[in-house]
Amino acid sequence: MTFRLRRRDVIRGAGAIAIGLPWLEAMEPRSARAQTPSVAQRFVAVYQPGGAEQSRWLPSGSETDFQLSEILAPLESVRAKLLVAAGLDMKSALGEQHQAGIVGLLTGMAQGQAGKYVSGPSVDQVIAEIASAGKPRTSIEMAVRWATGKSHGLLHPINAMTFANDGKASPIPPRIDPQEIFDSLFGSLNPEDGAAAELARKQSILDFVGRRYESLALRLGERDRQRLDEHLTKVRELEGTLVSGTPVGGGCQAPERVDTSDYNPASGLNSSDSGSIVDSSSDAAIPKVGKFMMDMLVMALACDLTGVVTLQWSDTEAKHTFPWLNLSEHHHYYQHDGGFRSEECAQICRWYSEQHAYLLQQMDAVDMGGHTLLDESVVFVGSEISHPPTHTKTSMPFLLAGGGGGLRGNRLLSFNGASHNDLLAAILNLFGDPRTTFGDERYASAPLAGLV
Amino acid sequence: MKTSSKQGSVCTLVLMLAAGQLSSACSGQGEVDGYGAGNSGAGAQPGVVTTTGGVGAASSSAATDGTTVSTTDGTTGSVSGAGGTTSDPPVDCSTPQPNRAPIRRLTRFEYNSTVASLLGDTTSPANSLPAELLGNGFGNDADQQPVSNFLVEQYATIAGEVAARATQPDRFGSLAPCIAEVTAETEASCARSFIESFATKAYRRPLDGAELDELSELERGIRSAATFEQSLASVIEAVLQSPDFLYRPEFGVADATYPALLRPSGHEMAARLSYLFWGTVPDEALSAAAEAGELATDAGVLAQATRMVDDPQARPVIRHFFDYYLPLNTLTDLSRDAASYPTFNATIGSLMREETQTFLEYEIFQGSGTWPGALTAPYTFVNEPLANFYGIAGVVGDEFRRVDLDTTKRLGLLTQGGVQAGTTVSNFTNPVRRGVFLLRNIMCVDLPDPPESIANSIMPPDPGSAATGRERYSQHRENPVCANCHSVMDPPGYALENYDAVGLWRDQENGVTIDATGQLEILPEPFDGPVQLVTQIAASELTQHCFAENWLNFGYGRTLDSQDSCSVSAVQEAFTQSGFDVKALLVALTQTDAFLYLSPEQAL
Repeated sequence: MTFRLRRRDVIRGAGAIAIGLPWLEAMEPRSARAQTPSVAQRFVAVYQPGGAEQSRWLPSGSETDFQLSEILAPLESVRAKLLVAAGLDMKSALGEQHQAGIVGLLTGMAQGQAGKYVSGPSVDQVIAEIASAGKPRTSIEMAVRWATGKSHGLLHPINAMTFANDGKASPIPPRIDPQEIFDSLFGSLNPEDGAAAELARKQSILDFVGRRYESLALRLGERDRQRLDEHLTKVRELEGTLVSGTPVGGGCQAPERVDTSDYNPASGLNSSDSGSIVDSSSDAAIPKVGKFMMDMLVMALACDLTGVVTLQWSDTEAKHTFPWLNLSEHHHYYQHDGGFRSEECAQICRWYSEQHAYLLQQMDAVDMGGHTLLDESVVFVGSEISHPPTHTKTSMPFLLAGGGGGLRGNRLLSFNGASHNDLLAAILNLFGDPRTTFGDERYASAPLAGLV
Repeated sequence: MKTSSKQGSVCTLVLMLAAGQLSSACSGQGEVDGYGAGNSGAGAQPGVVTTTGGVGAASSSAATDGTTVSTTDGTTGSVSGAGGTTSDPPVDCSTPQPNRAPIRRLTRFEYNSTVASLLGDTTSPANSLPAELLGNGFGNDADQQPVSNFLVEQYATIAGEVAARATQPDRFGSLAPCIAEVTAETEASCARSFIESFATKAYRRPLDGAELDELSELERGIRSAATFEQSLASVIEAVLQSPDFLYRPEFGVADATYPALLRPSGHEMAARLSYLFWGTVPDEALSAAAEAGELATDAGVLAQATRMVDDPQARPVIRHFFDYYLPLNTLTDLSRDAASYPTFNATIGSLMREETQTFLEYEIFQGSGTWPGALTAPYTFVNEPLANFYGIAGVVGDEFRRVDLDTTKRLGLLTQGGVQAGTTVSNFTNPVRRGVFLLRNIMCVDLPDPPESIANSIMPPDPGSAATGRERYSQHRENPVCANCHSVMDPPGYALENYDAVGLWRDQENGVTIDATGQLEILPEPFDGPVQLVTQIAASELTQHCFAENWLNFGYGRTLDSQDSCSVSAVQEAFTQSGFDVKALLVALTQTDAFLYLSPEQAL
């Protein structure tokens, strides 16, 4: 039974001190490390929908001497820390053609039947046990313009990517409101307006609430007690996230709040199955919101709020338009609803590469004391499918970036049809987790060699 | 029309009803554009209650590779496919068999109703919580209520918002009588009296001295650095996040007749009743009955149940059940190609949902009162815009009113536009999807899923490939691997092909007259057209049992299993005896072992 009491006790101690001296306690451990740590410290997983046409995605050349493709060209500035992981097959992604790809992407588990979730955790949650130890939050999940189309704004196997390491693989709902994310992560920042008193008030409420879960749980049967214990853990974690003041110094700087009033995060609630109901205001705001989320993602890591963040760009239906690219139909239309449009799909993929380049550049600009945030991280980007119109799952468009655990960039690796389960195991190894298989055992053999 | 053979076919329904565990070599389950007909997202068709020998099984059946939506301890209560009659020992009903009662957490619906009752807050704050997992098909499955960090943060956020609204100047005084005249001297005791009355109602039970002290300490501590409004708001905020509010713990009291068993205490029974019928806290009359010990007997519970089912507070809960049981939730955003469906517009979906809900409320409370009655009623409810859409003359104004149907074309609930459009997720009908809806959801027939190995390659047929739906799905008949199961699943769907993708009647599709004939082993006669189909469905015992089983799962907030057979039989018996009266069914839910007793194992 992992209640994370260790973490909670750590946070209680740190929290009491942190109220007077914001962030300095959190800063100390890192400044002692001048060298890039040998074990990866942070994990980021990014989801881009709709796959990529291999002929326009795959770089040409050899392992160390390659030219980025038209889709990947925007990543040229960070190629030194980029590893193209080509030729991997999502062998475990058996099930409904869209859903199996996203529920299997980070879990390596088979969906089996349409409408079901998987029965194993996603790799980010397993990594979080290590990478988020001692930090206020296990992980942070974010999504931009999410749950479009048939999922009607709700968590569903057609849009679910992360699953808890709780023995039940509970699907984790991502946070979709950029303002809520900002408030939750970076809080109220001005000490003059009574923020300290408000903080103390909230803490005493949560303290009371936690004690209620504790004492009620003791009176319940085994199974019910477990559920209340899980709830208690989350209450304590919430309590641990309450800190006052502005993050100061070093790489940790609270991002500026961005006005996203033209963006309705819950736009999916009013979607139609086919994407024919268009929310042009929210669609037009996607670049701005995505950038804001990426800025918050980077600072959540830099400020040690967590060791694991995932970001979803929409979902497997991606039934939103792209006004800034002058594309008036939704993504799935260009994949096959309107007949495969190679040019438009490549345009969209290239735009996603530009966003990813921004993310990696921002991570590389954070000084963690002699090395950058990117150097100590592993950043994975993937999609639920490979070929946009046919939704195949061979030769997936996967990328890794960073230097965490010795990950070595500036290389093009071709894995010739190896199972992506082995990639997930290899990523875990970068964090010091020694296991040799991850996910569905039928499709796992040994961790991929060659990442370091 | 080929029927499945009786020998060796895993899709023969006779064998399904007897044999239990099924393996499937079939393809092409009701699958369109990536959405399964079974356990799909919140708001879509509910998961399945299978019935073999009258015992329910889980909506999330175990796939061949073992991927299930598992529960806390791995026992899903799901006996997937198996009726439980052949492999489990029979349950002895001579002593009460309450079976499991996992602790239940308030759903968003219940949270909203509850804060409305407690504080008059009608803003539906819980809508910003993450949606529930579908679980038993109704989103209230106690075995599928995980806790995420996000959920707990949102509980905190909405509690703060509700508390702030409740302590606005115009409402603050209504929180407790002493507040209007409070002074510095009387404040502490006024706070305590508010705490006692509010927490008692919110927790659905009296508080002991220590609990009151703890909440008072919290309030006084905050008061030292905040206003009285803020300190009382903090009490509300704390209570709304407490497990005593969000969850429904039950400890029981020893039963007089069976000392080894427990009954829910008076207050626990009051909460069971109030959440079953009204989705909210008990009213004064129910609380008084609990205090007076009336809920300690079956008869006392029955008396309250009878009163409560007729109370207006029951209507939203019944509506909520049907929003899940029928494909109504997605109707609000129904969208169709304007060129193909020129009379359809964005409001029609909502209107069709309203038609079905209005019809059901009428039928249950004023009409026949029965489920077969609802399935065969020769009328429906429309307003002017909807009547124009259907081509019904003589309806003026926005109010819904009863109109007679052309009973050669429509009869009862299942032929309503909302059900037909709701079982269509594109501009083209999918007879498989509709057939599966009828068989799984309405008749609780266990249908195997296609094998995992071909699940990836299931694609909807090209709409241009043939003139009619029946022809487009011809693969299901021509390929013997498919035919095994599809000869069972498809026929009801073909009989509904006269309803297009927006639920309107058509005699032809693409110039070809629609062939709506078919037969099923589980129905006595071959059918020609939807009216004959639904008439037989309504007359089938499977349909009535299925309806009752779904209410059992919804009412008890889990998926019933083989250990519930005593409770299930009691309800089925009462439902049958009543002539399949819906209100009688709801009341019968309170007269079972599962409802009247509490297993002592819960306390272990």
